[in-house]
Amino acid sequence: MPLYFSEHEVVLPGQLLSDDGRRSGEGTYVADGKVYAAQVGLATIRNNRICVIAFKGAYRPQVGDEVIGVISDVKPNGFDVVLGKHLTGVIRIPDRRKVQNLGLRVGDVISARVKESSLRGIILEHTRKMRRFDKGLLISIHPAKIPRLIGRRGSMINMIKRMTGCRIVVGRNGLIVISGPSPAQEFAAVTAIKEVEKEAHTQGLTERISKLIDSILKGGVG
Amino acid sequence: MSKPKLITEDGIRTDGRRFDELRPIRMEVGVLDKSDGSAYVEFGKTRVFAAVFGPREVHPRHLSLPDRAILNCRYHMTSFSVEERKPLGMTRREVELSKVIREALETVVFLEEFPRTSIDIYIEVVQADGGTRTTGLTAASLALADAGIPMADLIAAVAVGKVDGQLVLDLNDVEDKYGEADMPIAMAPRFNSIVLLQLNGRISKDEFPKALALAKKGIMEIYRLQREALKRKYSATPEGGM
Repeated sequence: MPLYFSEHEVVLPGQLLSDDGRRSGEGTYVADGKVYAAQVGLATIRNNRICVIAFKGAYRPQVGDEVIGVISDVKPNGFDVVLGKHLTGVIRIPDRRKVQNLGLRVGDVISARVKESSLRGIILEHTRKMRRFDKGLLISIHPAKIPRLIGRRGSMINMIKRMTGCRIVVGRNGLIVISGPSPAQEFAAVTAIKEVEKEAHTQGLTERISKLIDSILKGGVG
Repeated sequence: MSKPKLITEDGIRTDGRRFDELRPIRMEVGVLDKSDGSAYVEFGKTRVFAAVFGPREVHPRHLSLPDRAILNCRYHMTSFSVEERKPLGMTRREVELSKVIREALETVVFLEEFPRTSIDIYIEVVQADGGTRTTGLTAASLALADAGIPMADLIAAVAVGKVDGQLVLDLNDVEDKYGEADMPIAMAPRFNSIVLLQLNGRISKDEFPKALALAKKGIMEIYRLQREALKRKYSATPEGGM
């Protein structure tokens, strides 16, 4: 089946991408058995599915995503977690004692995995991988830029971690927790991340970010 | 004021156009910083901003729907957009236009992607010279695309009408006021489907298909300009792993 786009081409809503409706992936839709783009973004093929990587747009939770949120309510059987402008997730724990044992309070920042995202809402896992952050900076960037921040196989984020010496946890929903040994290093990490967000679409970004971090760490405030 | 002559013997309209010509069009995407998506569209002297916010929490909460987003739309003319100051607030006309524009946009936006949220569209006419609803709709669909909201197609809109007994494309204010008919049409061009059609005045059964064909021709041109405007904003391609 032919494709009507070249790899990483900018596509627009309504643009025909393929005649094979079974290959429709994220950011696309099927009409009359054909695949069309639903968002402005870059067309690409991922796992043999045609996807559009959107430039902008709200975060849509996928099962298995690691997200960061702020506890907004503690209930007898779980917690409400604010994940961003329009999203609230829930953690359901059937055992009341366990809720108390977790010791979470309103305002605590946690990271967790998405267990379910459906009409019933966004349900987060509480068993594995859930953790609370005791210290650090909570910053937020546009969720669409998260893949760029992580980079190919984590190249970008690992470089920032390595150079600044900070621990950085990235939530798919756009929230990021940074904690480092000194405020200066934390500042360098925040500046680098904000720069990635701003310049996500440009060439040679990894190198420039590396230089940016270097200059901040060396010369105080860059 | 008595009716001015709208078309000369040579077929030239008040602003120098032929019957099938659009006004000079300018489109820009992402013009407002604080909205999630925005656009500015100019059809001759008609100038319109559109801004999109959302998906965001619905307020008041009981209006939210469990299985899809709600679309809010406000079409508004600034008080300085017309010759005689328009009082602040929504007139009946603006309320109606907000509704028809919302219904047109609802046909293409995938609302079921964002349950329990609202997507808010604000259309602000800063200068009115005829065709504000079509210009507003054109701008709103660009702003939605800019906000990254999934949609089946862009919407392009234009008015056709009858002035001095002749069908013309893209009416301006004088032609609208003194002409015999004004018919705004909006389409999702990819699927050739009409999402808005209103008619003010009279045209005959024979003229209707001709008017529709004329509008379609204009819409295709507007659609091309819309795609160009969006591509212009997002032309730079990112490197590395996305």
